[in-house]
Amino acid sequence: MIETFQLSKCYGKQEVLSDLNLRCEAGQSIALIGPNGAGKTTLSKIILGQVIPTSGRVEVDGADVSKGPDYRRELGYMPQISRFPAQMKTHQLFRLMRRLRPDVAASKYDTELYETLEIDQMNDKALGALSGGMQQRVSAALAFYFNPRILILDEPTAGLDPLANETLKAKIRKSSEEQRLIITTSHILNDLEEICNHVIYLLEGKVHFAGSLEQLRERTNETKLNKMVVSLIKSNQARVQYQ
Amino acid sequence: MFNISKIIVQDLWKNKAVIAYGILMLTFGWGIFAIEYQSEKAILSLLRVILFVQPLITLLFAGMYYYNSQEFLLLLAAQPIKRKTLFLGVFAGLSTVFTLIFLLSIGVPVLVFSPTVEGLALLLAGGLLIFVFTAIALLVSVHVNDKARGMGFALLVWSFFAFIYDGLLLLFMYQFAEYPIERPVLGLTFLNPIDIARIFVISKTEASALLGLSGAVFQNFFGALQGAIAAIFMLLVWASLPFALAYRKFVRKDL
Repeated sequence: MIETFQLSKCYGKQEVLSDLNLRCEAGQSIALIGPNGAGKTTLSKIILGQVIPTSGRVEVDGADVSKGPDYRRELGYMPQISRFPAQMKTHQLFRLMRRLRPDVAASKYDTELYETLEIDQMNDKALGALSGGMQQRVSAALAFYFNPRILILDEPTAGLDPLANETLKAKIRKSSEEQRLIITTSHILNDLEEICNHVIYLLEGKVHFAGSLEQLRERTNETKLNKMVVSLIKSNQARVQYQ
Repeated sequence: MFNISKIIVQDLWKNKAVIAYGILMLTFGWGIFAIEYQSEKAILSLLRVILFVQPLITLLFAGMYYYNSQEFLLLLAAQPIKRKTLFLGVFAGLSTVFTLIFLLSIGVPVLVFSPTVEGLALLLAGGLLIFVFTAIALLVSVHVNDKARGMGFALLVWSFFAFIYDGLLLLFMYQFAEYPIERPVLGLTFLNPIDIARIFVISKTEASALLGLSGAVFQNFFGALQGAIAAIFMLLVWASLPFALAYRKFVRKDL
């Protein structure tokens, strides 16, 4: 579903991603992890077309990302920090988004998170008046709203209260069972462990490990994801080719 | 594009700074005609507003708005929308709001109290300057990622066109007073949109004393009609060039 070919990105002289070759398929729920500055957000932004790669290319469903915005119809995105126009009301935001997406019929809307996260109750509040966590809830509901087959979630659980956190994780698990592709970036490994079946570990712009959770478990002989990651960092052994 | 500009217009319309600016402009526009019975004098006072106040506010506000809505642009850019559409939407939204404020605050009183050639020239120049400075503001903001630096640069651009440039031009003319400098001065005048607008409006009034040397040269060289056409053309160039450069940068930029 998403494939990268020799993907590189430099900011000035600093190489953030170098020669990344990855393949992500439907049904995978991928934990994209790595230390700060490893290139996780850059990678997701390149997939979204927000950052232009220095060289190489990304294909989503066989379509080159640089060739046009239509592939984003199948993409739901939840950014790390959401900031909306301060004066806009929540219901106006959803109305605007619906108007921007005439390609999705009203019967196809996925309103599950919209309902369970109780977005309705904030309908008449200005987005600028919402707290950070509430904005994250709006952002999460929006990412799933148009029923995308691919979801890119950047630190989705940061700032959410425990209840909303569980709701979101349940939704992510469910989406993964529905054969969607989900890529989650986070530093909260405990959360990731519950929702992911694959791991991509980026280190200094390169893939240090990419494979399923079972493969990682076998390789490291650990049961908890955070232990596995620690052992991964310690082991110098390079990567497993990603399937 | 219309969806995006519409949403930006709706957002701006409720913005406190826009409301304050609207009230300020309404006071200028309607107030000047209330205290000044000679319509030409009123036009000249309003000329100062459109040459100095309006470009400043346009530059600062458009730049500020771009920086403040970056996260929202990011959200929109994640939708199946072309960068091109996004950029045009932002530009159209901002310039629509500024133009509306301008028309309500200065356009209507001028048409009511002084529907003369100089009045219409003022409206045309003011309207074009809005596009020029919105484009320049976006050009600065898409190139400079840091908000404080971008706003500082925008202020510098404004003071350059509003005062510094004239000072330099004057210095140049004094230094080379003994040479035939008409043509270079003419060329240099074209490099400042505020100067072009000023000469364009003043040449339509009786107050030619305010033209200054560059204006006189301009008038002399082109004559009335051609001068007007050249001025309008140059203002259009001044609007489209920064617009095109900002657009080019925006579609290739890391958001």
